[in-house]
Amino acid sequence: MSTPVVEAGSRLAELMSGAAHERDPQWMKHLRGRAVKDFRSRGLPSAREENWRYTTLDFLGKHAFVPPTDDEAATVDARSMDALGADAGAIRLVFVNGRFASHLSTADTARDGLVVRSVAERLENDPAMLEHHLAGPKNEEADVFGAMNTALMEDGAFVRVAAGTRIPEPIEILHISTGGDRPGLVHPHHCVVLEAGAEATVIERYAALAEGLYFNNAVTTVDLGEGARLRHERLQEESPNGYHLSALRVRQAQGSAYHLATASLGGIWARTGVTLAFEGEGATAELDGLYLAGDRQLSDVHLDVRHQVPGCASRETFRGILDGRGRAVFDGRVLVAKDAQKTDAQLANDNLVLSRNAEVDTKPQLEIYADDVRCSHGTTVGQLDENMLFYLRSRGIDSDTARQMLCLGFAAGSLEAFSSDSLRERAEALLARRLTTPSKEGV
Amino acid sequence: MLSIKKLSASVDGKEILKGLDLEVGAGEVHAIMGPNGSGKSTLAHVLSGRSGYEVTGGEVRFRDVDLMELEPEERARAGLFLAFQYPVELPGVNNTVFLKEALNAVRRGRGEPELDSVAFMKLMKEKLALVNMRPELMKRSVNAGFSGGEKKRNEILQMALLEPALAILDETDSGLDIDALRIVAEGVNKLRTPERSVILVTHYQRLLDYIQPDFVHVLANGRIVRSGDKSLALELEQKGYAWIEEAAA
Repeated sequence: MSTPVVEAGSRLAELMSGAAHERDPQWMKHLRGRAVKDFRSRGLPSAREENWRYTTLDFLGKHAFVPPTDDEAATVDARSMDALGADAGAIRLVFVNGRFASHLSTADTARDGLVVRSVAERLENDPAMLEHHLAGPKNEEADVFGAMNTALMEDGAFVRVAAGTRIPEPIEILHISTGGDRPGLVHPHHCVVLEAGAEATVIERYAALAEGLYFNNAVTTVDLGEGARLRHERLQEESPNGYHLSALRVRQAQGSAYHLATASLGGIWARTGVTLAFEGEGATAELDGLYLAGDRQLSDVHLDVRHQVPGCASRETFRGILDGRGRAVFDGRVLVAKDAQKTDAQLANDNLVLSRNAEVDTKPQLEIYADDVRCSHGTTVGQLDENMLFYLRSRGIDSDTARQMLCLGFAAGSLEAFSSDSLRERAEALLARRLTTPSKEGV
Repeated sequence: MLSIKKLSASVDGKEILKGLDLEVGAGEVHAIMGPNGSGKSTLAHVLSGRSGYEVTGGEVRFRDVDLMELEPEERARAGLFLAFQYPVELPGVNNTVFLKEALNAVRRGRGEPELDSVAFMKLMKEKLALVNMRPELMKRSVNAGFSGGEKKRNEILQMALLEPALAILDETDSGLDIDALRIVAEGVNKLRTPERSVILVTHYQRLLDYIQPDFVHVLANGRIVRSGDKSLALELEQKGYAWIEEAAA
């Protein structure tokens, strides 16, 4: 049976096969070839697949996404950067429609123990450095969108912090979509590697300068060596017409600590998949997430946390706000393997539903095969508390403002996980703006 | 200031207020006492505009407007303030942000210019001293994790900032130890002016040792059944409510 989505799958497969990557090293060509084959044999997922039951891919059949051909980087100037809240202090890599924009990035990355480069630059000048990270075993489990990323990726950030090195200032990866004449198809691929004992903060952002229509299919891999510590802060503020799919794959060695703060606020369709694997004992992961599903917006979070070894602790706390005809999907899976004794895993998902027409499908799952563990999960779906609203109104505050204050208060529980004040304030302001936009409920 | 005539109100179809009359003049302090279930808190809630109460009869005029026609926020802007018996916790809503938002909303309602952050912080510092409240509480979420006394002080702080024409204190003494009660009462006394009226809703006479009322009313079975001066409160303290309920029946 040929549906628009199946046809889109064939079209995308052709696109992948036809893509010329002449300057690729041999191993990369091989990797891409394998990915195309993988994509062809599996096709785009159908709604019958459990992972895609609530998240439609119809948009792939509606729009003929193509990789952008024009280089739009020159259209982004200092003023645009100010508007995006890019602060001067950070080490920064900027990508415009998926391509590295050197004039917007900080040049001074030559520092002991730190490599901050674009993936395209590494492929050309030091492919051996990349090979291990791109062609490692982790890519084999990737889904079809992961395969699509491998086949079509052109660029991304490569960050490597050497053993025992601490980088005090944040390293920011800023992806800007400008929106072109044709629906753009972009495959950012970022690699973050912290060697043993290294410490860093990485900020990963997806922003837009116009209300463009495009599809960003991003992959970010995070590799933490023994005892490494990473704060990872992500802010997704894609265009109101943007489609955003992002796969975050984290691997943690013994004693490492990973703290993710993530806010998914933009896009008409946004899905974040986090796969986190504990590969050494005594490692910890804290994941704090906020997602907004405003009117006609879809927001999807899939977590796959794998406790494969003993003595690791993970906490996953995700909050969602739904308004208008917004739809949200939360699928949080935590696996505790048979040998993973003394695991501590706490999974929570709370949703604030502001409208009768909004819908959330939430599915927290603990799969436990060990017997000496401390695990819990919980889900709530609620509305604004009438007593709280009345309290604010009884102090002269109008009901719209009162609603907004309570929503921001709910979000604060997630946003306070951001260590960067400017990023947290930006997320708060974006959320406030989205919440003041009158919903189309009942229209 | 406030004129209540034959006010009747019900909750879930059950009539709680049954033709209540009360006149409060400018600058007067009225205590409303009564046994549990007599309708004291219902009166406070109906006046503040809480939903869930149906006004089935009578009239309430506040500074020459029909109070029942106003939304809760409009009542606040018109100069009415309710100190809650159980102040609500607002997790994630910063106390300073809340107070500034409230003050500026009320100032806009009064046709006064909004205060900027600097002017607001200066005013707040002044008012904090008035209610003897720790400045750290301003950095926290509204009432979240506050002790009982801190919550009540936060109510009086709001009253001090919003400068209402009429303040209704709903069981402000409940859950307070004697020291906290004294501090809260001192705050209220400092806020007394020849123009500002106060209604104290209370079960016990105790609060009236600290805040001297001009009038004492006894509410029983949804009506004011007896009014007098401060000596009435002392009489209630000695004899309880039973004799008055019997007399009213």
